[in-house]
Amino acid sequence: MDTVYTAGLGIAFLSVIVAFYAILREKDDLHRILLTDLAEILALVLIALVATDLAEALILPGLVVGISELMAISEVYLVKESLSRPRYAPLSIEIMDSAPAILSLALVLYGIVLSGFSGGALAAVGAIFYFMCRGHDERFAVVEAVSGYAWALWIFAFFIFMVLPEYWLFGVMTAGGAILLKVCGKMSLIGTMRGGHDE
Amino acid sequence: MNSLAVPAIGGAELHVIEFGDIVNYFSPYTAMLFAFAVLFTAIAIVSRPERQVDIVFGGDAYYTKDIWPEQLKFQRFMAIACGLATLGAVVSGDVFNFTLFTSMVGITNIGIVAAYTNRHVLNAAFQYGIVAMIATVPLFGGAAIILATTGTLSMWELFGSAIAVPLIAKAFLVLGVMGEGMAPFYVAKAEITRAPGAPYVLIIHVSSLLLFLRVVEIVLSM
Repeated sequence: MDTVYTAGLGIAFLSVIVAFYAILREKDDLHRILLTDLAEILALVLIALVATDLAEALILPGLVVGISELMAISEVYLVKESLSRPRYAPLSIEIMDSAPAILSLALVLYGIVLSGFSGGALAAVGAIFYFMCRGHDERFAVVEAVSGYAWALWIFAFFIFMVLPEYWLFGVMTAGGAILLKVCGKMSLIGTMRGGHDE
Repeated sequence: MNSLAVPAIGGAELHVIEFGDIVNYFSPYTAMLFAFAVLFTAIAIVSRPERQVDIVFGGDAYYTKDIWPEQLKFQRFMAIACGLATLGAVVSGDVFNFTLFTSMVGITNIGIVAAYTNRHVLNAAFQYGIVAMIATVPLFGGAAIILATTGTLSMWELFGSAIAVPLIAKAFLVLGVMGEGMAPFYVAKAEITRAPGAPYVLIIHVSSLLLFLRVVEIVLSM
């Protein structure tokens, strides 16, 4: 443990104190949700300070837990304040009429080229953008089914690693493609998080 | 590896379940906690929801509350999930897995509290959710500091006398569990009893009790 870690820890603790003080002072519920999200990033900072491969592997579950708690509280907040879907288009600019198809196509294609986790995130940004612009009265069952099959493929790829290590390239490709589909499917749901019709 | 430090507080290990380098184990202490968690999960699975009766103060009048089946279905699902998360937390042999299971208990507790759409109950669930989210900072922070200072998260090595875990990490771990698993006690206790569905609310108390007993064992052993 060197001075860099100690210094980083000091800065992180300072930020934690600032964030907690802000939460203490804030009275508006919505702002408090945002501030707690900010504070939660600091938990990830504390993990990231470890700066090994293991830390990288631990950040992901930490992030997932944080996001799921944030989504749960946001839902509670929406129900608590009896907020519903806005009746008007929340945002309307010219680019949202003309560009979504070509922009999302480019993003999704580039995501496929990258493959894996970052590719999935990029392709998902394309899908989110498309859903935001064009509305999302699609059948989500399809997205969920694709995501489920991708998960099964992903597990299958792990079995290839364990049982038939000599076909590792096939396993890597399968896992990469599956995680692309899975991350993409999951994240594209974010683009539709305004309630919407549940089909 | 695969033998706990000799003067282990929870007693010698009875059974060991290995998942690669994640090694879960049962000692007499954790086996007892596990049995409790299994028992109360089973109760959550089989029990029928109660129907609350409100008595008008100072009179003979009373009325029973109508409970929609689908609401309680969700609450029951969350209660079972909470029981399973508790099972994972009490037998975990890895500090980070323990913190993950603890935060899963927190999320399912939010679900149980928030399943009833009543303004007061939802308010309490919201406050509890904020506490649970904030608590992930000391919880994961504690685990991260343990990893950074000792180089391992495995309780098999941390429980040995060779490794000294800094006090701040232990304090963070306890603080995190208090916010994540035990917060319903002090944040939402009065409000959750307004909501119907008694056997499912019970699991909140059981899980926080078991988590607390487990984290005390971990902190004392480290």
